[in-house]
Amino acid sequence: MSLKWRIAIILGLVAASFWTLFPRTVVERVKRNGEFVYDTVRRVPLKRGLDLQGGMHLALEVDESKGAVADKSKAIDNALKVVRNRIDEFGVSEPLVQKAGNDRIIVELPGIDDPQRAQDVVQKSAFLEFQITDETQALEKSLPRLDALLKGKAVAVAVAPGAKKDTSTSNAGLQSLFTADTSKKTDSTKADSAAAGGTVGGPGAFSKLVQQGRMPGEYYVANTDVGTVTQYLAMPEVAAAMPPGKVLRWSSDTVSLGGRIYRALYVLDAKPIITGEYLTDAKPNTSPTEGNLVQFTMNNEGARRFRTETGRHIKDYMAIVLDQRVMGQPPIIQSAIGANGQITMGGKDLQAAQDLALVLRAGSLPVPLKVADVRVIGASLGQDSIHKSIVAGSIAVALVVIIMLGYYRFSGALAVAALVLYILYTLAALAGFQAVLTLPGLAGFVLSIGIAVDANVLIFERIREELAHGKTVRTAIDEGFRHAMSAIVDSNVSTALTAAVLYQYGTGPVRGFAVTLLAGIAASMITSIFVVRTFYMIWLNRSRDAQTTLSI
Amino acid sequence: MLRILHDTNYDFIRWWKVMAAITIAFIVLGLGSLAIKPLNLSIEFTGGTLMQLEFTQPPDVGVIRSTLDAAGVHGAEIQQFGTNREFTVRAQEAAQVAAQSQGAESIATTIARVLKQKFGENNLRVVRTEGVGPRVGEELKRGAIIAILLSFLITLVYLSIRFEWRFATAAVIATSHDVFTTIAFLKLMHLEISLTVVAGLLTVLGYSLNDTIIIFDRVRENLRKGRKETLYETLNRSINETLPRSILTHATVLAATLSLLFFAGEVIRPFAWVMAFGIITGTFSSIYVAAPVLLWIERKWPRQTGSRQKTSSTATPTSQTRRSTATATR
Repeated sequence: MSLKWRIAIILGLVAASFWTLFPRTVVERVKRNGEFVYDTVRRVPLKRGLDLQGGMHLALEVDESKGAVADKSKAIDNALKVVRNRIDEFGVSEPLVQKAGNDRIIVELPGIDDPQRAQDVVQKSAFLEFQITDETQALEKSLPRLDALLKGKAVAVAVAPGAKKDTSTSNAGLQSLFTADTSKKTDSTKADSAAAGGTVGGPGAFSKLVQQGRMPGEYYVANTDVGTVTQYLAMPEVAAAMPPGKVLRWSSDTVSLGGRIYRALYVLDAKPIITGEYLTDAKPNTSPTEGNLVQFTMNNEGARRFRTETGRHIKDYMAIVLDQRVMGQPPIIQSAIGANGQITMGGKDLQAAQDLALVLRAGSLPVPLKVADVRVIGASLGQDSIHKSIVAGSIAVALVVIIMLGYYRFSGALAVAALVLYILYTLAALAGFQAVLTLPGLAGFVLSIGIAVDANVLIFERIREELAHGKTVRTAIDEGFRHAMSAIVDSNVSTALTAAVLYQYGTGPVRGFAVTLLAGIAASMITSIFVVRTFYMIWLNRSRDAQTTLSI
Repeated sequence: MLRILHDTNYDFIRWWKVMAAITIAFIVLGLGSLAIKPLNLSIEFTGGTLMQLEFTQPPDVGVIRSTLDAAGVHGAEIQQFGTNREFTVRAQEAAQVAAQSQGAESIATTIARVLKQKFGENNLRVVRTEGVGPRVGEELKRGAIIAILLSFLITLVYLSIRFEWRFATAAVIATSHDVFTTIAFLKLMHLEISLTVVAGLLTVLGYSLNDTIIIFDRVRENLRKGRKETLYETLNRSINETLPRSILTHATVLAATLSLLFFAGEVIRPFAWVMAFGIITGTFSSIYVAAPVLLWIERKWPRQTGSRQKTSSTATPTSQTRRSTATATR
């Protein structure tokens, strides 16, 4: 190949690299004053991985703790659509939602600053049901049976000393508030004595813990007893003794009565009058009387069914159940309800209403998901990593330059010039292939600066040997390149094969490392062999036969 | 012209028994101590939760530990991470990993909550959280092992194509040696083995192989010249001839590695350690493992000289019968 062509190729690659790396204007979703907006950004087109720019990586799997799922792959496919919808609305710049393997969803959210909220939005089942509260006093009828069941049953439930005291002091306030009848009075007294005695599972074990609420099917349980009751309800015998056709659901919020905190337990008709599948829209709103709420709209079919069902249940109370939790106080049905309704958030902030509206719009998850893997990296840590890598890289370059110049002089200078091109080419290759830069990738890049000159060292040592054998400068250079070639190719190919294996089996950050390594190997082959050779040719051509000695 | 170790004629291989004793002692020490305490695997492989916390004031580690214990996070490993204001908390007890199957974030949430209660909301910041479920951990572990084995297999195949089987085997044995010494090093230094460290290990393998290839390439060339000398002498000559190159390359790579070790921060430091050690063990094994093993293989299955050299690479079984002729020609 003629010298002109060689120079043209090198300059062409330099131009292409500059073009690839030149900061360009892209439209991107960026954060402005806490809001995500589309805006034009001018930046170097190098993609940073989550570990460098900060953000969240989530791997989700089907949660089978509450029952097996037959076709996991299909379930994941369906869940994927829902998760993607939710993430799209969540407003993150360049999110990634994809299926990994057969049964996993990977979610990557760069630059997110509230990971817990993001995880909640992704994981929320958002299964909405409307259920009528029980009017038949079904639980009261079952109470004797339940108490009998639990009687004498040794259930180890820790009753904290603080809880005992609480119960006794708040009794008066509670009774005056509810104007409880005598039976309930004895109930709470019993509860008191039972708690004071520290015996659990004694007479009235269940009934002592629950008190009639303000509407049919509503019961109050002291917040400290919620754990105990949940434990009771989970027992198979208790579940079997529950009134048929009814379900028990906890409220999502607590209420404070007479200085004591209670959580409501609702007995509901098991069959919902309608579910959230007919929902077409949901938006957050704030009302002066009810606080934050979510208003929803149903499609025609849903509205028709809703109207019929609510028409049949006028004067009943309707619980709005989200993911098996009753949202707010069940409202009384005044008249048939059509397409629109609302869910009150019960004192939660507007953010919660926004998130609920978001998940309702995006649809419910067909299967519950659990987190298999989560990584959250703060943006400052990523920035710090980049900064430190640049420092380490600069020092590495400086040291390599000193070594090469000190040992090989003029030839070393050629190698250093080639090293500059090496850095340029490698970065351009990474940008061109849209590879993701990660912290191990940056470390690999710094390392490759040290390795990149290896080929030159091999060649230079060869040239020295040939010169020592009394060959002319021109022949020594030719022979040096020729003889060093096989060692260079063999060692680079074997490293490239290792990098390929790493790419195949590595995850995020390690994959970034493999990519940098591969780009580095390719670039170093070009620069140390082709570019340095060309430099020598230019030097030899300058004054034809004048080059009798070579500084190497 | 500045020259280092030019035209040397050291008898490197003479010392192979001493070197073998040293390296075996090191490996036995490292791997033997595994019986006392297992490898320090990162949560990526064991499952668990890792948090990196940054405090505004240097905190008392004892207080962190007691706060976590009180919250039910037992046996968490608390380590200073760089400055005395930064700490990592690792909770990777098997029971805890199993318990948090409902979501790996739960332990992290607990840790953040109780520590913020104790030290004040604004006095600490969570800069990094990693929570890996047991299944993902198992998969990553398997992936890492497959990656190491596969890279072995692939390089073996490549080397058998480019060199002949004797060289390839010797090179792979030298590389395996490096895996063992590096694992022993990781164990003795109590470094945390993460995915990045595994990537570092594989890079070390590539680098060490590289070094062996350079020497073997020279051996191959010297053999072709058909000098009247034994393989022992050829090996020594080749090592001596490639010595300036080795010194120079190791110097530049070591320069890059040391700048990573000292300046690239705490996250990448275990990787830098692996690389720094790998350069040393890789150089060592190229001279004191690859060469003696090649000699040993040659003695067992001698090569054919001259034009028949190529066929011997494929004809292993018959080479036994050719033994007498081979020694005769030499």
